[in-house]
Amino acid sequence: MPSKRFDSLEAHVTRPLTPRPVPARPAARPACALLAAGLLATACSPSSDEGDASVLTSLDYNIAEPQNSATGQMLKACAEQAGVTVEREELPREQLMPRLLQGASQQDLPDLMLIDNPDLPQVAASGALVPLEEAGVSTDGFYPSVLEAGTHDDTLYGIATGVNGLALFYDTAKLEDAGVEPPETWDDLRSAAEELTSGDTNGLAFSAIGHEEGTWTFEPFFWSNGAELTQVDSPEAVEALQLWSDLVEDGSVSQSAVNWTQADVKDQFVGGRAAMMVNGSWQLPVLAEEDVEYGVVPLPVPEAGTEPAPPMGGEVWAVARNGEEREAKAVEVLQCLVEDGNMTEWAELNAYVPGKEELARQLAEDDPGMAPFVESVPSARSRTAELGADYPEVSSALADAIQSVLAGDAEPEEALSQAQESVPAS
Amino acid sequence: MTKARSARTTVAALLIVGVLLFPLYWMVNASLQPSTALLETPPRWVPLGGTLDGYQDALSGQGGALLNSTVVAVGTVLLTLAVAVPAAYALSRFSLPGGRTMLFALLLVQMIPGIVMANSLYAVMNTAGILNTYAAMILADSTLAVPFAVLILRAFMVTIPRALTEAAEVDGASPLRVLVSIVLPVSRNAVITSGLFAFLFAWADFLFAVTLNKDDAMQPVTVAIYRFIGAHTADWNGVMATGVIASVPAAVLLVVAQRYVAAGVTGGALKD
Amino acid sequence: MPSHRLRGALFLAPLALYIAVFFGYPLATNVGMSFREYTAASFYTGEAPFTGLENYARLLGDPLFAKTLANTVLFTAGSLVFQFGIGLALAVFFQRRFPLNGVLRSLLLVPWLLPLVVSGTVWRWIYDQEYGVLNQTLLGLGGAVERLTGWAPLGGEGIAWLSSTDMALASVTIANVWVGIPFNMVILYGGLQNIPRHLYEAAALDGAGPWQRFRHVTWPLLRPVTAVVLMLGLVYTLKVFDVIMVLTNGGPANASHTLTTWSYQISFTDLDFGTGAAAGNVLILIALAFALVYLRSGRTADEGGAR
Repeated sequence: MPSKRFDSLEAHVTRPLTPRPVPARPAARPACALLAAGLLATACSPSSDEGDASVLTSLDYNIAEPQNSATGQMLKACAEQAGVTVEREELPREQLMPRLLQGASQQDLPDLMLIDNPDLPQVAASGALVPLEEAGVSTDGFYPSVLEAGTHDDTLYGIATGVNGLALFYDTAKLEDAGVEPPETWDDLRSAAEELTSGDTNGLAFSAIGHEEGTWTFEPFFWSNGAELTQVDSPEAVEALQLWSDLVEDGSVSQSAVNWTQADVKDQFVGGRAAMMVNGSWQLPVLAEEDVEYGVVPLPVPEAGTEPAPPMGGEVWAVARNGEEREAKAVEVLQCLVEDGNMTEWAELNAYVPGKEELARQLAEDDPGMAPFVESVPSARSRTAELGADYPEVSSALADAIQSVLAGDAEPEEALSQAQESVPAS
Repeated sequence: MTKARSARTTVAALLIVGVLLFPLYWMVNASLQPSTALLETPPRWVPLGGTLDGYQDALSGQGGALLNSTVVAVGTVLLTLAVAVPAAYALSRFSLPGGRTMLFALLLVQMIPGIVMANSLYAVMNTAGILNTYAAMILADSTLAVPFAVLILRAFMVTIPRALTEAAEVDGASPLRVLVSIVLPVSRNAVITSGLFAFLFAWADFLFAVTLNKDDAMQPVTVAIYRFIGAHTADWNGVMATGVIASVPAAVLLVVAQRYVAAGVTGGALKD
Repeated sequence: MPSHRLRGALFLAPLALYIAVFFGYPLATNVGMSFREYTAASFYTGEAPFTGLENYARLLGDPLFAKTLANTVLFTAGSLVFQFGIGLALAVFFQRRFPLNGVLRSLLLVPWLLPLVVSGTVWRWIYDQEYGVLNQTLLGLGGAVERLTGWAPLGGEGIAWLSSTDMALASVTIANVWVGIPFNMVILYGGLQNIPRHLYEAAALDGAGPWQRFRHVTWPLLRPVTAVVLMLGLVYTLKVFDVIMVLTNGGPANASHTLTTWSYQISFTDLDFGTGAAAGNVLILIALAFALVYLRSGRTADEGGAR
């Protein structure tokens, strides 16, 4: 079948080096016959097997177990059901975006891709993704908040098998020894953390690393106090950051938190160096293998009765525009991935919350450890709802503000007013 | 030098090497302890009551990666020397127009950010249809080593007294002959040094390997370790064990190469 | 002698071709991107409006620019001085003949065989404020000093090597010096081996001591090698990425960002590829300035060496 790639073969022209003219996709790309002569000039069209819709490609960053095997098996089963084979590629997380961009520049995107939900608007804005509802993907039974995390410009581009969120994990023995109850409000949290701090043990650990991982750990505090990402220097935002700053000042949280990823935080908790930690549901299977007795409660809120507002975490499956036939097959595979049975299996294996309300409720009943995470899903917020494709920049400004405050270089108010400069005026 | 003095020098050298390699010792130490022991104060200086679990985890499936790394690294050495030796010879012996520009270009191109190189090489290799091959990784890794090797070789070759080559030229030797029979033997050290670093650059490369290769069976050690870390976030002793295993064969290779270099040096000295 | 030159050019041709194929395209891409509003979507659509110098203006106007530039200078100067100094001292030291010389020398290269993500992680542990072996050792020493003199040099607190904005840059520089020492040592050692022994013998006969021999024989003859080691060291140090990313991610609060890591962050975290490319090009310009100095110094060194 003469696919659109063939267009480029008609154009045996070598264009000047970048800047390259602005072809509307899928316009002609210059041919690359001159590569061997060393005159390689511009992006070239790859020789692709695009006509063959029986082999799909997929890309994800689930390289850790148990997600790795689960993703592979599920894709395989769903591919069989759709009568295709899926060549899966899994990459370390930092490599996913570069690989997507390389693929995009070569018009060679994977048919199926699993993208962290805050990155979705960036990819969707390019027009490279298939609108899922138009393609016939059913959204029945999904939490509205789950769908929102896969939406860009009012169109659904990504859909989640499962979502995750943050909660407070505590070391049962340490709390019992200190006679401390799991905290429910910020005041409780601060005093509990202080009481639990002794010797080599910090009361609390969280990730305040200088990128999205730190920002997303901070967001539940930020949002539950009523702050908004469009106004990151509001008094509510300052209060939230003040809480983190106080926790470090009190000595309840190590200043090293500015270098900790969530995996490092988990190491601290498992190693007995933190009595409580803010972490995600995906740590449950990891903790199950460790020698530590723990409990999980929803994250403390500013005052008793305040609605918690955790960010919606997790990845969404998206389908690339790779020609009708391939798209149809990819959508078929996608639909199978979010089928009830698969969704529950995925959730149970990896400690994710199923994207569908009914299934999630069932899971919370079967597994009390998951209950705090299930509870938080309806009120969980999409990180990109307010800012869309501008989110990454604001997120990194917010991370900078958090870091400079925790390192003792700035007061919350001044740090956040500097961060506000990165918020685009709407 | 007396025997006692040279023994004292050896002790001093051992101390120096010991201090400089302390981070490596710490890696070996960590690889033999359970992961949680890393968080203990005071630290465990020696892995007493250690565990070999890490090695058990790490040993599964590193063999292929080591072979891949070796093939790519050796290929990079050969390609690099094939391009760099004649070029350095030309740049050091002939006052060519544009020679200076070439040196300038060599310095400059090394400043192109790695990720930009990776993105572009992906496009080039994709077009050439050689993604997921050793050739792609060798070509890409050689971009790290070629500019380096040309500059190093040239810096050594310019110090060769002109009288040495001019005599041969007067006798009617072709430039190729001068290169092979005079310049190369004299610059043996520099050739080995640049080959060595070409090997090390290729061995340590992660970015190009992960960019140009999707095939698990082709992945080099660096990528394998990275994946191991990703897959075993809690398992630091396993990760460190992987590091140890990955560096041992290459370290042996280095020591062997070193003997050869040493022999080369004394051989050269005898000729003087 | 034109035919002589022609033959010389033939030796150079493979390299010229190599540079054109493998470096021409990326260099042009980076320069092109820096004059455009280049987003993640641009990779797919090819649409990237020409904006002239806007990216450069945004870059220079960013309050972080001055800071990362200063960090880059400190990091590079600090790394170069110590890598080169220690590397040269070791190279001279290993000129002596003693048992195990060769084995020990090659062992010094082993750190290069490790992926930086592994050695970087080890450095993270060593530096850790609470349980890191460095602070534990310093605290132990500090405790001893306190018992002897009553004065507590550290006040009983570990140094926040990586988590304070004052120390982070120095800490990543130290780790980078460690990475760079073998490189300097090996090349300088090679350079020293190339200096004919009879020159030392002649100098010794003239009554020159070790320092004078170094000053009047070693140093001048080592000059072309010194120049290239410093120049390459500069280029490699400006480009250092993994060491910083593994240890501090450029933090805390950007305290250890250099232009290289910052450029990556602008591109792949903020997804503003145009400005990221501009930051990369500023680095290329810096290297260009030094390359000119190098070539100028090379001219005199070549003339000296060729005699």
